[in-house]
Amino acid sequence: MLRSVLRRVLGGGQGWGAGPRRPIQSCSALVYRKHGPDLDQLRMEQWDLPAVGAHSVRLQILAAPVNPADINMMQGTYPILPEFPAVGGNEGMGEVVEVGAGVSSVRVGDWVIPVDAGFGTWRTEAVCDAADLLSVPRDVSLLGASTVSVNPCTAYRMLHDFQHLRPGDTVIQNGANSAVGQAVIQIAAALGLRTINIVRDRPNYEGLAAELKARGADHVMTEDELQRTGLGHILQEVPRPRLGLNCVGGVSGGLVLTSLDSGGTLVTYGGMAKKPLQIPAKSLIFQNISLKGFWMTQWKRNNRKDFHLLQSMVDALCAMLRSGQLTPPTCVLVPFQNYRQAIQATVQPHQCKQVLLMH
Amino acid sequence: MKAANVSCFVFKFIRIHRRELCRARTAGQQSSTTQFQQDCSPGHHLPFNRCIGHILHRRYSTESSVKDCRGLLYRNHGDPSQVVQLEPMELPPVGAKSVLVKILAAPINPSDINMIQGTYAILPDLPAVGGNEGVGQVTEVGSQVTTLKVGDWVIPRDAGLGTWRSAAVLKEDDLITLPSDIPLLSAATLGVNPCTAVRMLSDFEALKPGDTVIQNAANSGVGQAVIQIAAARGLHTINVVRDRPDLQQLTDRLRAMGATHVIKEETLRRPEMKDIFKTCPRPRLALNGVGGKSATELLRQLQHGGTMVTYGGMAKQPITVPVSALIFKDVKIQGFWVTRWKKNHIHDEGAMRTMLDELCSLIRAGKLSAPACAEHSLQDFQKALDAAMQPYSSAKQVVVM
Repeated sequence: MLRSVLRRVLGGGQGWGAGPRRPIQSCSALVYRKHGPDLDQLRMEQWDLPAVGAHSVRLQILAAPVNPADINMMQGTYPILPEFPAVGGNEGMGEVVEVGAGVSSVRVGDWVIPVDAGFGTWRTEAVCDAADLLSVPRDVSLLGASTVSVNPCTAYRMLHDFQHLRPGDTVIQNGANSAVGQAVIQIAAALGLRTINIVRDRPNYEGLAAELKARGADHVMTEDELQRTGLGHILQEVPRPRLGLNCVGGVSGGLVLTSLDSGGTLVTYGGMAKKPLQIPAKSLIFQNISLKGFWMTQWKRNNRKDFHLLQSMVDALCAMLRSGQLTPPTCVLVPFQNYRQAIQATVQPHQCKQVLLMH
Repeated sequence: MKAANVSCFVFKFIRIHRRELCRARTAGQQSSTTQFQQDCSPGHHLPFNRCIGHILHRRYSTESSVKDCRGLLYRNHGDPSQVVQLEPMELPPVGAKSVLVKILAAPINPSDINMIQGTYAILPDLPAVGGNEGVGQVTEVGSQVTTLKVGDWVIPRDAGLGTWRSAAVLKEDDLITLPSDIPLLSAATLGVNPCTAVRMLSDFEALKPGDTVIQNAANSGVGQAVIQIAAARGLHTINVVRDRPDLQQLTDRLRAMGATHVIKEETLRRPEMKDIFKTCPRPRLALNGVGGKSATELLRQLQHGGTMVTYGGMAKQPITVPVSALIFKDVKIQGFWVTRWKKNHIHDEGAMRTMLDELCSLIRAGKLSAPACAEHSLQDFQKALDAAMQPYSSAKQVVVM
């Protein structure tokens, strides 16, 4: 809405107040004006940028991934939805190219990521409040920086906030090959935790299992195996898990739940199977399992004022990126103009993370 | 244990050792005076017919009813109407740290039935006396007993004591006193359901006067305790019950106890709910004793960030939880088991005492009544068990000795 007002007032040849008119810049952006299931409504357009105010920053977006939540937002099935016209994309990283006179938190040349969802990262440039940005060091990789704020942060919080885990404790998760799943494997390993990783069976299961183990997964199992045998012999090597991470729901979520130790917690952060969990009462009453959910966006909003908490989490993750303890998920880099291919690939099963490159 | 009687709810986590319970042994054993001077322990058992002959060797209270100790025993898990028998029982001598208790009254709770059926999470060694709750009167104390005296009313600190009997020799530490000026049926039914209600209303959400709690199985023992304790704390309650012919009578009864709203399950999906939420806020806390669809409906009514606590599963169906409720509505789903709470607080004298004191104050103030009870003698146990296993029961079956 703000942009259309500015366009009318300043682009129509009429002055507003005293002082010289600053030229409006524009960028290329992926814009949509309605929700719909088929995603055709996303178009690349020229998008006006406001002038940089005293507390604003202009940045060049360098890279932005395509996440499932981005798709859901376009489809209109996400619980927070932008106003139209909207720029797609909630995650990405950029380089600061201009700062307003009152900005001290970032400087030209800094690498930054958005604090909150709803930024609209699928564009070549953006102007925003300096307070909407967190800085990342320039010595992490482009891929690492552009994919740190959603999935690795989700993994980090889930591993820290729900169960007091000590080195040697076990975490079990489904969807282990997802971006969050891969971050969980690595961050858990960095914390000295063991992971049991459940994935769907697939033609190249052995290859995937090897890949996850190379990332630091202790154990990898298929859903079918877990259903047939439970944790079985794995419990001779690791303690029963106290933390379960679920992004699938349905039967898979139930299997993760029933693998947990007494007093354990199942944290649900996704529902890829689009099926509800079926919880036996005895798990709650006699096993004392708790079920909680986690939503990174909600966490960020709840902790919006605690800049230090946000920045220190990003710093910790960037340190892991730098040392190689954390590596970005397997990604496919897609030039910005080939965005349709990236969007379509994201809705296919068993695909790698698509990352748009703007510059 | 018969496989046919095992349902999908079987868990054997803890074997309860029933040291005061006399067990039959196939190997004959000569009795000796020394044996009877000890507390009955797993290694020393006599067949029942030889126990009776040695009664005269023990120190005994003059209460004749205690002498004729009888109890409801089962030797196998299965259908309570088949496996439970009324039998004479030996009473061991009262050890230094034990007391002789005349049981006054003991209810039949669903968990008692499940224990007999073999479907409960904790199962006693067999043969076992049924019943986990009840009130008794101390009639004799051992030489080193300090916290109990003759005449005290006592209830068990934990499950597994076997309360469906006329008398028992129990360890001092296994018992806690209750004032004897509260009604007998209140005392007999205080330790499980009202305690469950207090804990669920206290330990999961910080509720303030004016907040709302929603629950299903509202006419159960726990449900009625929730209504009354919530009312005493200034909380609104939305009470969900199954439809039935005498729904109006039930509604009136629960409202007289302090229920804000009483609705049937079907109403949860109807526009009437909007009117209800004009009179009280959306609930922060949901209490589920049923499971299945009923529980899912409670979840839908919860405020953002609220908690559903599950304490029972009367419908024997899992709870369907949409993923969005957890992620976007931030609801927490937990369970409560009063037996676990008691075990975790067994050394925390203050916690249990504070809770019982609060409940007894409410009873004395007329704000907490026992549920409607149907009393039975020990003789009439079959009738009591059958009635306890009927659906839509409107009374708690209590064995009064």
